[in-house]
Amino acid sequence: MLKRNLVLFVAVISLIAGGFTTAFAGKKIVNGIDANFPPFAYIDKTGKPAGFDVEAMEWIAKDLGYEIEHMPIDWDGIITSLMTKKIDIIASGMSITPERLKKIDFTIPYWTINIVMVVKEDSNITMAELMKGNNRIGAQQGTPEAKWLKTEAEPRGWNYKLGYYNSSPLAVEDILNGRIVGAAMNDAPAYDAVAKKPVKILGSFGMEPEDFGYAVRKDDTELLEKVNASLERLMATPYWDELVAKYNLKN
Amino acid sequence: MLESLIVIKDALPFLIQGSFTTVVIVVGAMFLGLGLGLAMACGMVYGRRWVRLVVGFYVWFFQGVPVLVLLFLFYFGLFNFMGLTLTAVAAVTIVLGMTTAAYQANIFRGAILSIPNGQFKAASALGMGNVQAILYIVLPQALRISIPAWSNEFSIILKDSALAFVIGAPEIMARTQFVASRTYQHLPLYITAGILYFILTWSGVKGLRALETKVRIPGFSLHGN
Repeated sequence: MLKRNLVLFVAVISLIAGGFTTAFAGKKIVNGIDANFPPFAYIDKTGKPAGFDVEAMEWIAKDLGYEIEHMPIDWDGIITSLMTKKIDIIASGMSITPERLKKIDFTIPYWTINIVMVVKEDSNITMAELMKGNNRIGAQQGTPEAKWLKTEAEPRGWNYKLGYYNSSPLAVEDILNGRIVGAAMNDAPAYDAVAKKPVKILGSFGMEPEDFGYAVRKDDTELLEKVNASLERLMATPYWDELVAKYNLKN
Repeated sequence: MLESLIVIKDALPFLIQGSFTTVVIVVGAMFLGLGLGLAMACGMVYGRRWVRLVVGFYVWFFQGVPVLVLLFLFYFGLFNFMGLTLTAVAAVTIVLGMTTAAYQANIFRGAILSIPNGQFKAASALGMGNVQAILYIVLPQALRISIPAWSNEFSIILKDSALAFVIGAPEIMARTQFVASRTYQHLPLYITAGILYFILTWSGVKGLRALETKVRIPGFSLHGN
């Protein structure tokens, strides 16, 4: 009886200890991703990280002779995770913004993205009606579009109520629920949503296009230089165009 | 409808793997909470003034600060400052364990106080020391009384473990979100996650109920008998 309990106890402890072990060996870099951001980063059917940025980063890591691990992290905590060295790089559709540049460094821009408004497929609302008609609209928390919509509303005379979501797919879900009329998001995830749900892209709402870059810590100049060089090489290969086509980035 | 079922069927193994992570977090946290909580309960009841003050502060702090805030404070702040490179799962386990310890301390304190003081005196009269009396007379009874409240705490921690996602631990909730973002089948997937949590809570609570019956002392129990 006592022995059996002891065995059980040891089993439980070792199970916990198994969760504690951190393996850091060799030249390994950890890439933090927002796995709720298809097609740039998501978890595929088999449970593995996938997406445009994940595959691009795989190529870069191979090119540089690094081992790479992709770690899904909540978007809200992803920059803090980078700065506190939980991860080494963020390759996950992150726009280069002045605010972010104060805290972290970015590689060369590798993709330009438009920010669009998504509404229900059968809706015949115009952009002007949406922005001025006392509507509820949504955006992903912690994104430039969320910030932009908040600060630009007053100077532009818009009177929407802004709701914040954890991911753009959740905002799309709430459009279909009728809780918000429109949701602001990057165009590539919007194409993904349009392909899977009865929503459509209403168009741009005046926000300038943004550049995506891979983010690293400010003191990690060696990694930045290496990734920059490798990213340039990758963008010159036909594989880059294959990736763009594969993930439907241009629609 | 059929589409939803196919998505759920495909996602199920992935979600079930997540429930192993959840179980590791919850079991680890509950045992950590048991050890710390029991020690603190004894400290609160039998300790000197400064012990009571320190424990009181600990309980006040962990009961007063939301788990989410604690997770951020510890994972990005304290653990980093101490130079610990813990995985997200380990960090969540420790933070949830320290939080539940504060609540468990009160559970055990109540149970200890419910044992009539006469028993402690009787133990002393029989020549037992204080520590002996606590270990062999008071605690065995107090622990038995604590099981129902402890199983409440278990189900609360189980559900709090869903917060682990914010620092990147791949448990049930995080995995559900991942699949939902890819497939846009939010509702069916969250229902599935709910069912998984329900199964885990139900088995845990049933198990503790069985334990309660098993360790019951005939003639001494809340069930009457």
